[in-house]
Amino acid sequence: MGFEDDIARNRRATALVVAFMFLLLWAVIIGFSAALGLPVAFVAPIAAVLALVYIGVSSSFSVQSVLAATQARPANLEVREERLLVQRVEEVAIAAGVPPPKVYVQDSRDINAFATGTKPENAVVCATQGALQQLDQEELQGVLAHELGHVLNRDILLSTITIGVVGTIALLAEIALRALWWGARGRGRGSRGGGGGGGAILLVLALVLLVLAPLFSRLTYLAMRRRREYLADATGVKLVRNNQGLVRALRKIAGDLPDDPKGSRTAASLYIENPWVKTEVDSVFSTHPPLKERIRRLEQM
Amino acid sequence: MAFHGLVVSVLVLLIVLVIAAWILATYNRIVRLENRIDNAWGQIDVQLRRRGELIPNLVETVKGYAKHEREVFEKVSQARAAMLGAKGPAEAMAADNMLTGALKTLFAVAEAYPELKANTNFLQLQDELSHTENKVAFARQHYNDAVTDYNNTVETFPGIIFGAMFNKRERPVLEAPAAAREVPKVSF
Repeated sequence: MGFEDDIARNRRATALVVAFMFLLLWAVIIGFSAALGLPVAFVAPIAAVLALVYIGVSSSFSVQSVLAATQARPANLEVREERLLVQRVEEVAIAAGVPPPKVYVQDSRDINAFATGTKPENAVVCATQGALQQLDQEELQGVLAHELGHVLNRDILLSTITIGVVGTIALLAEIALRALWWGARGRGRGSRGGGGGGGAILLVLALVLLVLAPLFSRLTYLAMRRRREYLADATGVKLVRNNQGLVRALRKIAGDLPDDPKGSRTAASLYIENPWVKTEVDSVFSTHPPLKERIRRLEQM
Repeated sequence: MAFHGLVVSVLVLLIVLVIAAWILATYNRIVRLENRIDNAWGQIDVQLRRRGELIPNLVETVKGYAKHEREVFEKVSQARAAMLGAKGPAEAMAADNMLTGALKTLFAVAEAYPELKANTNFLQLQDELSHTENKVAFARQHYNDAVTDYNNTVETFPGIIFGAMFNKRERPVLEAPAAAREVPKVSF
């Protein structure tokens, strides 16, 4: 199947996940309101509109703010390594049949790269100085193909929306739980809980939702991210018809995680490997799958 | 009885509509894939022309240091002319393969001239030419991907129906040069 077909399929899958996230957010807003004692039937449509607006806003996302957070600058064509970097990015874009993304460089010594942008037309690919110095052209191109894979798979759009929803769910749940706690103490002093049995069940459901939703949504987000990393590895290999470059690059990266990562933590999950994780911890809380496992899967392609 | 007849008619109509939609979707897909092939060829063509443009500058630069290697310059110029004058993808790719071979000889010859190797213009041209070779290779890969998708669609059901009707037949992929199959794609 051509990359254009993959892109179309990914757009549909992304739409499904966005729809799920919308429903989850909607449920949490309703739970939140129920906890505050507001009538659910009244709140539900307002909640739907709020959730839609929120998702709309977070998906019209700013490439510029990511670039600022990571302290990246446009590639300098006067410098040979950076000129070669731009050439390698152009080549991978041709293999994918998409316009070449803009190319940026981050001045840090560890080997890393990231991509941002919601679609190929507004995409930016960035590599670190460390990557330019320590990777040979085949390895560099393997990494760049992986990053372009993220753009083709719409991962950045997906992550942005999901992370926004996860954050909002956590915030709302926290506020609602506090409201419930204080409300319960207030009620205990003399008035009875309103609505009788039906109201109590709704309250219990709201409570369960509010406690579990933040954890559940975060775990879902991380699991999705890890799966997308494997997918980007596969897409990258498919683009250059060669797994050796990426395998060797990942091996070099494994030995090279930095002591002082640059840039903001929020951008961590965009990188090819999380620069803030020095130890190989395979847990449900990792943004990236363990390097050893990625290398193993790549070698079987 | 009349109601029974109505239900059957509606069902038949639905089935006909579904089949019609299916045929339409397949036809549109075939057209889209054909356009993708044309675009992919356009990309190859652009890169081949870019290669053609770089050659005269390269030859002049090398001549400045290695006037006597006339045979090598001849070969390169001939291969370039053949590539620019080629008709159709297959011919252009064959000519480009010859050009790649001639350029390899040229760069091998340049190894013997240290001042030439230090010339920044020469280095930049060398980088650029490797870059265009890679671009041609990836453009050919993209073209072959598009052709393979197209072939799969017109050789299987229901696309094969259009094969007869509208003359949508299998197309050939562009062969990679034998030498290129042994060497990793990224050259620098």
